[in-house]
Amino acid sequence: MEVEAKQDHKNRATAKGEARCPGAPSTQDIIAADKVGAPGWVRSEAYQFLGDADIPTDRYIDPEYARREIQTLWRHTWQFACREEHIPEVGDYYVYDLGPYSFIVTRVGADDIRAYYNACLHRGTKLRASGTAGNACEFKCSFHGWSWNVDGSHKGATCHWDFPHVDPARFTLPQARVERLGGFVFINMDPQAPTLAEYLGAEAKAHIDAWKLENRYTYLHVSKRLPCNWKLAIEAFMEAYHVIETHPQVAVSNGDANSQYDVYGEHVNRFISPLGVLSPHLYGKHTEEDILKQFTLGDSGALGGSQRTLKDGGTARQVMADMFRGMFEQATNTDLSGVSDSELLDCFSYTVFPNTFLFPGISLPMVYRFRPDPRDHRKCLYEVMFLRPVPLDGQRPQPAEPIHLRDEQSFSEAEGMDPGFGNILDQDTDNLVLQQEGIEASAKRTLTLGNYQEIRVRHFEQAVDKYVGEG
Amino acid sequence: MSEGPASPAFTRVLEAAHLPPGGKKVVQAGGACLLLCHANQRYYAIANTCSHNQKPLEDGRVMGSSIACPFHGARFDLATGKALNLPATRPVPVYAVRVVDGWIEVAV
Ligand code: FES
Ligand SMILES: [Fe+2]
Repeated sequence: MEVEAKQDHKNRATAKGEARCPGAPSTQDIIAADKVGAPGWVRSEAYQFLGDADIPTDRYIDPEYARREIQTLWRHTWQFACREEHIPEVGDYYVYDLGPYSFIVTRVGADDIRAYYNACLHRGTKLRASGTAGNACEFKCSFHGWSWNVDGSHKGATCHWDFPHVDPARFTLPQARVERLGGFVFINMDPQAPTLAEYLGAEAKAHIDAWKLENRYTYLHVSKRLPCNWKLAIEAFMEAYHVIETHPQVAVSNGDANSQYDVYGEHVNRFISPLGVLSPHLYGKHTEEDILKQFTLGDSGALGGSQRTLKDGGTARQVMADMFRGMFEQATNTDLSGVSDSELLDCFSYTVFPNTFLFPGISLPMVYRFRPDPRDHRKCLYEVMFLRPVPLDGQRPQPAEPIHLRDEQSFSEAEGMDPGFGNILDQDTDNLVLQQEGIEASAKRTLTLGNYQEIRVRHFEQAVDKYVGEG
Repeated sequence: MSEGPASPAFTRVLEAAHLPPGGKKVVQAGGACLLLCHANQRYYAIANTCSHNQKPLEDGRVMGSSIACPFHGARFDLATGKALNLPATRPVPVYAVRVVDGWIEVAV
């Protein structure tokens, strides 16, 4: 019996995808030792081995593939279009653009948000310019003045006598589907698509529900065009495997090689990358003091110029957690007493296929959005938003206006961006231009992926395959 | 209160207390119809006429330091008057604003 169990264990340990960073505690081990314990969505694992075949690279470099993606992938998936806070009042609208498509996402009632195809039903003019937002009591076309009510019904055609063939009842603005979750407005162009809940799956949806991101507001919003295919940009943020080489300054306080990776259904995956601990690559090379000093924050503005000192026998991770709780509470006027050390410190990165990254943590409270550049498959649009808890007094600040960086600008030039965090994003971007060009130059027409640390890339590309077809 | 000869002529238009944060108010000054906005922790004065279709801007939504015309969605920078998107391309006049003795004054 005992021999059999041992043999069994050995088989499992050597099975593909089962290997983990040797000599390092797991992410779950680290979190289990924290003073303020973490909730269930943190304390679970859902890794699956999904094969180890190479990924063909046509998908990153072939303009024909990019055209197919628009029709097959982007037209059938749930996409983050805007936050509810962008359209708080009836008639408020936000224009969401995707490839050649454009939608007017508007609030029709307290509980009713719709997304209209942004085109006049007369001769096609966009009813609102791309990339804009505002408030309307009607959507009037700037060309000949046809108009639609906020609820999408046809309001009037100039010189209606000339259009006896136009039945107003049949000239309602066509709509995409809309669903809301956690303060996010999602749209889907496919009337046959599954509901957002089915699309996410029960477990992933339960995680998102638990975060209550509807109680956050956007305090910083930065956008920039990146010099690579949109999928390369997304995949650059899916693993901590690159930290030691790309962000050596971060590795001192990041459990990179022992981060945890999980997949949920077809459209959601995540990692948990523990912070306030030394990278296994650097074991024996740094002290707890070094870890404390090196800690990089996405939202350091909330911390002010705090002093970091290590008490005797304390760990850097615990000092940071204790300090963060107090300082974030004060700076953002919120109650974090029930929030675990892990949620305060660690980097939780979730992908919702195809365009969204959610980071529900407190010190790294970002949302990323990626979209293909409609004119160039070798470029993409990247946005980073930082979400802070709505203050205790209940006064919801207006969401930040986006800051649009020029291609050559550094992320740290955006006003309000933590310089350390801006530097990290610049490091990521600099790799991406080299990667795009390298894939085009390569004699090898495939990418090779690690079984564990790059599982999110594989999972994401399997979803791409599902919509676009392999090729 | 006397001003040097180079200073623009400021006209008293509204008690500042009547324009809370987030507020907008149409005022007449120097023969012009102006829209005062209190946004972004400061006051702005912009001509109350969209440069695209000559419609009033007063029901427009203010976001950050811009206003969106409610008719066709053209947006203007409240500080400079610059048109930020189609269908407008030309700027809207803007005016210097100051607060003196609790009154908003505009240079028209
Ligand atoms: S194209 Fe819109 S009214 Fe003519
Ligand atoms: Fe990175």
